[in-house]
Amino acid sequence: MTTSVVGDAVRSAQRPAQATQGWKRYRGRTFYAFISPWLLGFILLTLFPLGYALWLSLTNYDGLTGRYHYVGAQNYTDILSDNDALHALWRTGLYTLITVPAGIVLGLALAVLVNRPIKGRPLFRALLYMPAVVPIVGSALCFKLLFNSDYGMLNSVLGWFGISSIDWLADPTVFWVMIAMTLWGVGSTMIISLSGLQGIPQELQEAARVDGANGWQVFRRITVPLLSPIILFEVITGVIFAVQAFIPALLLSVQSASTTVTSVPQSNYLYMIHVYAQYFAYGRFGYASALLWVLFALILILTLVIFKASASTVFYESGPDEPATRRERRMA
Amino acid sequence: MAVHISRRRFLAGTASAAGLAALGTGCSSSGGKTTLTIMGNRPSEITDQDVAEFEAKHPDVKIKMVTVSTTLLTAMFAAGNPPDVVRDQGVPNTPYLVARGLAENLDPYFAKSTVLSPDKLAQVDDTWRYDGKEQGKGPRYGLAKDYSQDAMVWCNTKPFEKAKVELPSAMDPISYDEMLDIGQRLTSRSGAKYSTYGVYPPYDVSLTAGFLNMVASAGGSIFNDDFSKVDFSAPEPLSALQWYLKYAHAKVGPTVARPLAAGAWPAFDGNQLAMVGYGYWFSGEIATDTKLQGDVHFMAAPQFGKKRVSPCFSATGHWIPKASKNKDAAWAFFEHYFGGPPAIRRAESGWGLPGVKSMEAKLPTAKPYQKQSVTVQQNEFKYYSVLKFSPYISISAIDASLSQELVKGLDSGASAGKLADAVNNTLNPLLKQGKELIT
Repeated sequence: MTTSVVGDAVRSAQRPAQATQGWKRYRGRTFYAFISPWLLGFILLTLFPLGYALWLSLTNYDGLTGRYHYVGAQNYTDILSDNDALHALWRTGLYTLITVPAGIVLGLALAVLVNRPIKGRPLFRALLYMPAVVPIVGSALCFKLLFNSDYGMLNSVLGWFGISSIDWLADPTVFWVMIAMTLWGVGSTMIISLSGLQGIPQELQEAARVDGANGWQVFRRITVPLLSPIILFEVITGVIFAVQAFIPALLLSVQSASTTVTSVPQSNYLYMIHVYAQYFAYGRFGYASALLWVLFALILILTLVIFKASASTVFYESGPDEPATRRERRMA
Repeated sequence: MAVHISRRRFLAGTASAAGLAALGTGCSSSGGKTTLTIMGNRPSEITDQDVAEFEAKHPDVKIKMVTVSTTLLTAMFAAGNPPDVVRDQGVPNTPYLVARGLAENLDPYFAKSTVLSPDKLAQVDDTWRYDGKEQGKGPRYGLAKDYSQDAMVWCNTKPFEKAKVELPSAMDPISYDEMLDIGQRLTSRSGAKYSTYGVYPPYDVSLTAGFLNMVASAGGSIFNDDFSKVDFSAPEPLSALQWYLKYAHAKVGPTVARPLAAGAWPAFDGNQLAMVGYGYWFSGEIATDTKLQGDVHFMAAPQFGKKRVSPCFSATGHWIPKASKNKDAAWAFFEHYFGGPPAIRRAESGWGLPGVKSMEAKLPTAKPYQKQSVTVQQNEFKYYSVLKFSPYISISAIDASLSQELVKGLDSGASAGKLADAVNNTLNPLLKQGKELIT
């Protein structure tokens, strides 16, 4: 009897162990096997380049000469006296300040429009999203053709009204062409905002309407606060992308044997253009790496500042007795 | 029995694998056949036929082409796995490459070669020589596939007829100011829209070489005696910068700040560009449009200063990296490409003057424009000159600084003196650093 009870207890205790058959026996190994491609990629493509760039930023390596010297923090201090770097930073800041809010506002406005029960809604959604999936090289080519001073459609239209042709792709107008080209891809922001809009419970909006709120009040008091986590996401990713913008400026400029990356019009001379020029036109690998590390630090600081600033304005889904913003949560 | 992997052990293993993978990029496997990696332009310069003929003649060698790109070349050198043959320009780059110990001394190969013995090489191939102090002397490090005297000018006669402007002499050079004056008379524009660009002076092949040509004609140099400093504020470079600003403000042609959107050829071919500063090689381009062939006029290089010079800006060809693992196969390709059927086909096409003397006789003369261009070219040989470059700085850095300051200066209305100071301030620290690194 006792033996039987003990045997039952042992069998009972063994049951969970028997249940973990096959790969489930090696949960640790399975976990690591699944994450290893990402981890390998992270080490090879992020951690190693970051470390290598940090080391380069402390040298005067020129890319081709085998020899180089350790120069300490000189590359970093040189940035402060590099007027081109400061100019590029200012142009990048301006580009970010315009494209990020404009992209979010436009994207949200379009999302609100295509979220309404209108006829042909799927078609409108597809049409508005389409520019976002066109490769940027194709978009740039179209913009260059449209704004070409000799053959462009825009100057032809201006000509019908007797207005003199404008050199759109030169300073200072080329900056606004770049802004327009960037905002042309606003469909991707629209899609994110649309998914946010569709996640807002209808009963909240209906309740507000029953209480006498008009459309604008519902949008301002209900929709925007509930969309605020999505908007925060768009702001952060938008800023990170805008600060690193390179391709639009490069593609809108003309590259030939007599022009280099430094021929990019001054109003489109973005920070990453300067970095690229330092690497591959001037062969200043050390200095360019220092510029990149400064940009990396700047992005980190900007992200932190945005997070801090959003503490009292971003509302997270919460129960009736829970604080809605991060600041309120901390205070609670 | 289950094997436990600790996080620390896993991370260490992953990092080791990543390191091994990174190291692995530097190794190459031959698999029986030698893979000859060529950084070149296929099919525009190295044709499919060139490759097929070579591989048929050398069945143990397989050619692998990679795109011409400074970025890629730098990355390949950094990985310790450079191409076996690299396309480059001998005029501006030979001192730079040799001083860094990147290029292989090809003298032993030339000494053994019957196809490419030094007595068969054209004068321009000397631009691929460097003795550590002077370009044109010492060992050979590469060869020109073809070349031109790049400050010469091609005219499209249609805009001349339309504007009732007389064509300049083919043999006697006009001055730069005369060229600007003719350009002004030919230009037709409304606001920013040009129906005719009067002139595109010889800057398109290379902005830096375009300036050096002007400075050399004025009897000066941008470099000091040991090439360790530039001085664009010296009288001759300054006058060249002043002329460029005068040309840009006259709005008679493209500039670095307002380049031609599709390049010079479509504009020239479409009768929108009247004069363009290109060398003999442009006859190969003209050969592609039979309608245009009756409307072109080739002329001598305009003269900026007192001295008549007509340099080659590039001497485009190939070199073999010292770190190449297949130098013999690379040399076999040299003999085929520079001295074999590909070289004959290039000479016959009119795409530049051949780097091998005997092939000059193959230049096309059947059509009137071909005959006129060869006649003008033969006269221009007398004024062939060599531009001088520093081993301490790459031409891309000079190009970058010049174009950046010109773009800024043209927008802001800065004076030539201010531009010169800005270029000096950018380039002299780079020259100093370059000298420190290689001496």
